[in-house]
Amino acid sequence: MSDQSLQGAIITSQLIASIATRTTLETPGVLRLEPTNQSFLPRLGPAALQNLRHPGSQNGTYQHDGVTATISDGTARVHLYIATDIAYTALHVAEKVQQRVRESISHTGLTPGAIDVTILAIERHHRTTIM
Amino acid sequence: MALEDIPRLGCGRSIDRIWGTIDRPPTAHEEQCDQCQTARTRLRRLSKATRSLRESDLHNPTMEPRPGIKNAIMDVVRAKVRRGSRILLRSADNGTTEISEQALSSLIRSAAAAIPGVHSRRCRIEIRSAAASVADEDHPTGTTGTSTNAGPRLIINLRVAAAPGIVIPRTVEALRHEISNAIPASVGIGAGTVNITVEDLYDV
Repeated sequence: MSDQSLQGAIITSQLIASIATRTTLETPGVLRLEPTNQSFLPRLGPAALQNLRHPGSQNGTYQHDGVTATISDGTARVHLYIATDIAYTALHVAEKVQQRVRESISHTGLTPGAIDVTILAIERHHRTTIM
Repeated sequence: MALEDIPRLGCGRSIDRIWGTIDRPPTAHEEQCDQCQTARTRLRRLSKATRSLRESDLHNPTMEPRPGIKNAIMDVVRAKVRRGSRILLRSADNGTTEISEQALSSLIRSAAAAIPGVHSRRCRIEIRSAAASVADEDHPTGTTGTSTNAGPRLIINLRVAAAPGIVIPRTVEALRHEISNAIPASVGIGAGTVNITVEDLYDV
């Protein structure tokens, strides 16, 4: 058994999504991840979930509120939907998220692929004071 | 020639009409008409059975929605509103960054709210490639615009209502200045062209 196949068995797209979520939420300027239509269907029940997942694919796509993670050929791709704090520059926040998520993924042994970020809202944080 | 496909009794009354008024007292005709009385009796039984089934469903635990389903639906509704169309801010091999039109629009409205004497109304945002010539820019009749060359080329079309008595050119210029500062600060791109149309006056 090679190291590569062992990694494929352990590092799932769900884990990548979890890592990306945590890393994103820890990035200054990120208020939250935003749910999407795609992430809603799995919450309806197992039947809807079955339709969304690739049957029998352990390294397929995992979707949860505001994050989609895909592993393919040892490369992890992530799409994040975020809301940012108005006190921060959203583009800079997104760049920081991409950089940090890429670093986090590289620690798993997988190759970080495209980290796409969609800013769905820019809002005032309740503790933010604009000078 | 249109063919009528509404089920009717021999007296000419439609079944739908009797069903629609089943909870009301019979009309003068229905009191006299045997066919209507028979139909009302049968439909009342059907109505009672329907009501009973509805009540049963309400209290049937197997018909209960999964926990959190309402929140999940509301999350999606909110997300759907926020998403709208998206504007590409940056594209590279290692990932793209987009922003929803709704996020930009909210930011513009928030900036407009800081200017006394104007209420923002409809806000439309278009995107034009960075290579587009400034000379190509479109200023709708009755609007004023300004432009910068930083970042993706946004064309913001904001309609506002103004308070009576304000100096409109000065107020509009202050509004444009506010928007032109807010977008680079909060998004990180230039505001591009900001077209403002004063379409109405509002009562103070």
